[in-house]
Amino acid sequence: MNLEKAIFGRRSVRNYSSKILEKKHLKELLDAGIWAPTAGNIQPWVFVCVTHTKRIQQIHTVSPGMLGNPQALICVCSDQNRAVEKAGPGGRTLAIMDCAMAAQTIMLFAYGLGMGTCAIRSFNPSAVRELISAPAHIHPELLITVGYPAESPKPPARKKDVFFWELYNEKEGKKDDE
Amino acid sequence: MTSDTLSRGLFDLVGYMLTSARGLVDEPPLYGPFRLIDGVSRLCEILTQEDEENKAFYKDLKSKIDERKYTVMSDTDTFINLMDELVYDFTTKLKER
Repeated sequence: MNLEKAIFGRRSVRNYSSKILEKKHLKELLDAGIWAPTAGNIQPWVFVCVTHTKRIQQIHTVSPGMLGNPQALICVCSDQNRAVEKAGPGGRTLAIMDCAMAAQTIMLFAYGLGMGTCAIRSFNPSAVRELISAPAHIHPELLITVGYPAESPKPPARKKDVFFWELYNEKEGKKDDE
Repeated sequence: MTSDTLSRGLFDLVGYMLTSARGLVDEPPLYGPFRLIDGVSRLCEILTQEDEENKAFYKDLKSKIDERKYTVMSDTDTFINLMDELVYDFTTKLKER
């Protein structure tokens, strides 16, 4: 699939079919995630892919923002020790940014494979950490639900008044010599 | 609904309400009404299988919620109208009882 189609066609999917996901495709998604940009090459991310129905249900119970019936979940976590060790206290913020970029990379790649995804931040991080048996320095940043879509959500409107040229609030921009 | 399924459904709802309560401290204000409405939908799913006499009412309520609840993210007016309609539906049912 061409990249433009993936960028403009991807939607947040909240209704999945029962079609089984193949593990090899999930592995491909994880491989794609680690090729996202990362500040200072810290690579602060950790990905926990959950496919067991019971564990998905448990995570669902503590994740109010998780809607639908995904076949798999990818918990995109930051390794706080690695982030701070490599980048100092600012590493925590950088790690969140890196995890977000990894999540987007995964979601675009999934769309290219015909899968649907939805990124979720409305979950209880401590509860999810406990359910995936992660230590305290592993912080769940985002959940990505994964499955084959049973719907094609309509694209929501996008704000178009957010582009400026050269200066904030400059709608058209001026040449330097003007 | 068997007692085990009912118990599981209510247990999950407790988890949903608890984690919603904590999460809403840091979330956008409109997520509050959304969580409550989504919670009603989840409760209706349980009651649809539990309360034979009012099954149709709960089923309709759930269906109406699920059809339009996501407008909270794209069309606030439609979401607020949905809540008004749901309150009206509920009040109509209340008068019948």
